Amino acid sequence: MSMYNYVFRRVGFMAVTLFFVTLIAFAVTNILPGDVALLILGPNATEQSLEALQTQLGLNRPLYVQYIDWVVGLLQGNMGESLRFGEPVAQLIAERLPRSMMLAVAATLVAVVLSVPLGVYAAVNQNEAPDVSASMFAFVGISMPIFLWGLVFILVFAVWLNLFPTGGYVSPSEDLVGSLTRLVLPAGAMGFALTAYIMRMTRSSMLEVLSEEYINLARAKGMSQRVIVLRHALKNAIIPVITVIAFQFSYAFGGVVVLEEVFFWPGIGRLTLTAIQSRDIPLIQGCILVVALIYMFSNFAADLLYAYFDPRIRYGGDD
Amino acid sequence: MATEQETERGRFTITQSQRDRIARFVRKFRSNTKAMLGFSIVVLLVLVAIFAPIIAPYPIDATNIEDRSQAPSVEHPFGTDDLGRDIFSRVVMGSRISLYVGFGAISGALAVGAVVGVVAGYAGGLTDEILMRVMDAAMAFPPVLLALTLLVVLGPELSNVVIALAFVYTPYIARVSRSAALAERNEAYVEAAVARGESDSRIVFSEVFPNCMAPMLVQGSLNVSFAILAEASLSFLGLGAQPPRPSWGLMINTGRGFMETAPWMLLFPALAIGIAVVGFNMLGDGLRDVLDPKVEAIE
Repeated sequence: MSMYNYVFRRVGFMAVTLFFVTLIAFAVTNILPGDVALLILGPNATEQSLEALQTQLGLNRPLYVQYIDWVVGLLQGNMGESLRFGEPVAQLIAERLPRSMMLAVAATLVAVVLSVPLGVYAAVNQNEAPDVSASMFAFVGISMPIFLWGLVFILVFAVWLNLFPTGGYVSPSEDLVGSLTRLVLPAGAMGFALTAYIMRMTRSSMLEVLSEEYINLARAKGMSQRVIVLRHALKNAIIPVITVIAFQFSYAFGGVVVLEEVFFWPGIGRLTLTAIQSRDIPLIQGCILVVALIYMFSNFAADLLYAYFDPRIRYGGDD
Repeated sequence: MATEQETERGRFTITQSQRDRIARFVRKFRSNTKAMLGFSIVVLLVLVAIFAPIIAPYPIDATNIEDRSQAPSVEHPFGTDDLGRDIFSRVVMGSRISLYVGFGAISGALAVGAVVGVVAGYAGGLTDEILMRVMDAAMAFPPVLLALTLLVVLGPELSNVVIALAFVYTPYIARVSRSAALAERNEAYVEAAVARGESDSRIVFSEVFPNCMAPMLVQGSLNVSFAILAEASLSFLGLGAQPPRPSWGLMINTGRGFMETAPWMLLFPALAIGIAVVGFNMLGDGLRDVLDPKVEAIE
């Protein structure tokens, strides 16, 4: 299978998945206990006013009509209006999404900065003390949920050492320093939790490259260890690492739902929780859909990278 | 006659080789430090959960306002919480919740995921496409978000957490089982079964299935740790176990409000989660080393 065919097939799969995702988001919020009209008007609403609103919102139409209507609206960028905020859902999400992105990107950066050097260092000192301690460090990182690392980081760096604020968000355009100091702890906590996989991949990829013929040749030619490792080996070893980083980004994005609650970070994660708590159905639908979409697309991008760099995936087919 | 004899002999060799395989597995498992360490932690956890009412020195809901927010001491090894409840007792009893959710959710995911995966892998074609695309759709959601969404529908309750997480982890098990079944499909014993005229369902469930168990077990034990983490996250968000249940995630949620004055309220349940997760992770990793000859060859 050529690369084009592969991409084509994957795009096809994604279209199908996308359909299922909209179906799930729609279904979940439509089997919710509690009628939207009742939620809007409150328990004291009269039968008549309920019926009027149901007609107005189109809630008494068949479900498939409502679904098609909803999807058509989505395609036009119309996600409905939030019951709680009285604002368009799309606008609420557009306002908070960049903040979550900022957090996920920063966390991935932290993870890369920590894990790639650590992985290289571990590979060069295979099975020796630095290797073992690097593995331990990474293992500790994945042994607790991200939100717990968040709390531990708050306890140590904000409460005990008083180095950073405990949470909150400031727009970088208003106060860059204040914004960055509030980013350090959540990004650090999540980055730490993501370190393990990238480090493991860097380590094993480096080990593989370091055992290649041309590395021995470079050694025989008398090149220094530093030049061999950094200039020759790392360049070739980094390719599979990049794909793992792409997967970790989507993982980070999936994790922001919980992390934002810990750090009072007003992104799409907290918006989702607020929507759930106030049973704001259009907002729940919108949030679920947007988060799933971004998660899906970044996984898709990672898959493509993976296939691009590793021809075995393509030529071996799906089996 | 000749064929029957051959089949008899064939069956005998299978059982013999199976016995050998089990013996080799036990030997390799016992010499694998990671697997043994993980196994010990898991066994210890299970024992703590079983004997929790005997181990816990105080009832989990015994409030004592005079003793509230006490630092760890001889009477209260993990200190007391904001209502004067003994944290050690609550952490010990909380192991039951974590293991209930972890094992419960993954048993459910294994039951459904394994069948879906093996059937998809063995049948191939359209059946495979349809089943796996549905699994893909479920995997398109971040796990915690999907569980959260399902809990909105089902209602925040512990048994619903088990159902939601079983649903979330089913596709992961299905994927692994499918690729295992794909590999088995072309094996000689399947061809032999087809030649014997056995029905598809018999081949799938009594021949292919048992040979796909190893990767399912590895994935399952790794997923138990994910499910334990997820339960903690969901209870932390207020959508999982409800007070006064001693869920570790819930205890952390309460403890976060007392971080400055009583950090032990947060630290001990956190430590418990860490230990449980490390245990199942090590067991899963170790099992993979032991069961997968490829990994062994690389290392």
